[in-house]
Amino acid sequence: MNNFWASIPLFWGKVVATLFFIGVIIWTWFRPKSYIFSDAPDKKIWRDLRIWATFLLIIQIALYLIF
Amino acid sequence: MSGVHGIDLFIIISYLLAILFFGTIFRKYIRTTEDFFLAGKMLPWWVISMSIIGTNIGAYDYIGAAGGAFRFGIAQANYEWIGAIPAMVVSAFLFVPYYWRAGVYTVPEYLGKRYNIYVRLIEAILWGIFLVCLLGIFFWASGLMLNTYLGWPINVGILVTAVVVGIYTVTGGLTAVALTDVVQLVVMFVGGIAVAILGFWQVGGWSGLVSKITATHPDHFKLFLPLDNPVYPWLGMIFGLAFVLSPAWWCCNQSIIQRTLGARSEWDAKAGMLFAAFPKTLIPLLVVLPGFFALALAGGSSQIQNPDQALPWVIKNILPPGLAGLVFVAFIAALHSSVDSTLNSAATVWTKDIYQKFIKKDASDKHYLIVGRILTIAFVIWGVIFAPITNKFPGIYVAMQNLLSFFQGPTLATVLLGVAWRRATQWGGLAGLVGGVGISATLFALKVNFLYVAWWSFVGSLLINVIISLFTKPEPLDKLEGLVYGLVMKDKKIQNIIARRVNGDE
Repeated sequence: MNNFWASIPLFWGKVVATLFFIGVIIWTWFRPKSYIFSDAPDKKIWRDLRIWATFLLIIQIALYLIF
Repeated sequence: MSGVHGIDLFIIISYLLAILFFGTIFRKYIRTTEDFFLAGKMLPWWVISMSIIGTNIGAYDYIGAAGGAFRFGIAQANYEWIGAIPAMVVSAFLFVPYYWRAGVYTVPEYLGKRYNIYVRLIEAILWGIFLVCLLGIFFWASGLMLNTYLGWPINVGILVTAVVVGIYTVTGGLTAVALTDVVQLVVMFVGGIAVAILGFWQVGGWSGLVSKITATHPDHFKLFLPLDNPVYPWLGMIFGLAFVLSPAWWCCNQSIIQRTLGARSEWDAKAGMLFAAFPKTLIPLLVVLPGFFALALAGGSSQIQNPDQALPWVIKNILPPGLAGLVFVAFIAALHSSVDSTLNSAATVWTKDIYQKFIKKDASDKHYLIVGRILTIAFVIWGVIFAPITNKFPGIYVAMQNLLSFFQGPTLATVLLGVAWRRATQWGGLAGLVGGVGISATLFALKVNFLYVAWWSFVGSLLINVIISLFTKPEPLDKLEGLVYGLVMKDKKIQNIIARRVNGDE
């Protein structure tokens, strides 16, 4: 079993990490708008936390693809 | 380092006096337990964000992470990136809103509402003991730092930290803690950026840094390392760190979550956690780069015997007088922002989850405020007394970390099912928590890497919770109101109840 895991190229780590980040981005966009803006003083676009989460996770994807 | 320059000493003493003055300003706003433990539910998102990161980054992180980068390279940054950012997003979108809506003071209190009093008690005792023991370790670290850099006797350093942090935490509660965290985070970044600029200048910029390091350490710019790496195997980084330990830390840790509970609105609570991920992304600039600079400039020599000496070496050899003092103040700020948060959270757990729940139930709010303050003072005194003991028994820190790691996976599984699955019952939650800890202890005894212990204890706890829940009586809907995700999203009646509760109409 250990040989099996050890035989997986490190490249797959990047693949799993990238898919993980993309999965979290998709998950955030499935949260209803009313839930995201719940209790917010207004509905200006900058208060849409899904946009910021996407931006954050794209930075992560870039970092994991570079390094 | 004890031959400190006059200007450095001036900067350090000025910082200590300024933070003490700034922290005590907020004492006049503290009238209730909500003011003391939750900052009167007045915190805006940007204070929460900065306070979360100030709390998260301690002096141990500076020294340990720089040492980790010196030894293993950029893989150390996994703890700040994949080991934090996705979990912070999930915490902001899933966990934080439900803690905030439940109107609780602590995570164990939420678990008590969602499951039962036994789950609350187990979690409260765990966090209560862990936070209090952590104080002794933090106090010792502060004494050691002041001794190393200023030459002050260790006991004097401990007392200075205890007096400065103790006074503003006792008087100003979470408000003082959160707002001083903001100042401390700014100081930390200014110091970190100063190190980065001077370090890059000395090594010849980014390309100079990369060429110097990769000449001798070709894997130092790889985030994922092979499975035979003893500390950072890539599979453990993903399954243990990213999937379990990190969500457990960012979604269930009382000292982190408490800031969001003090938010002025649910949106501020969510945004506070989410926007904290931006400075978190930059933390490797502060904690990883110094390790690289030390390796590039002194790696081939015998000047650095122990990787943990990497950062002190950088401060001593790269920074001019004045800047060295500033960076040292950044160290102190990192330590203080962790000590004050731990102190306030420990007082909150012991007052709300243990004293108010099990010792004196129906006292006035003023009584609990006094108890909270007395406990804060008691924990400061305890920390000062306990600090030298942690040095005599270095295994205490490791033991505390192991104890917490036993609970990380099971706690995450319990909270996750509590928030996300209405069918999870009180007995499922209790069995999952206890069973998961049993799995952790067994795997630990078999000397399994702690990253894998976290993963399998999480999976085991999740399965036990699901199985026992399916065989036990479902919880009544009125008990779950406002506590479970799917229920609130689908049920208009419950949405209305929560809206009234948040508006203070009931």
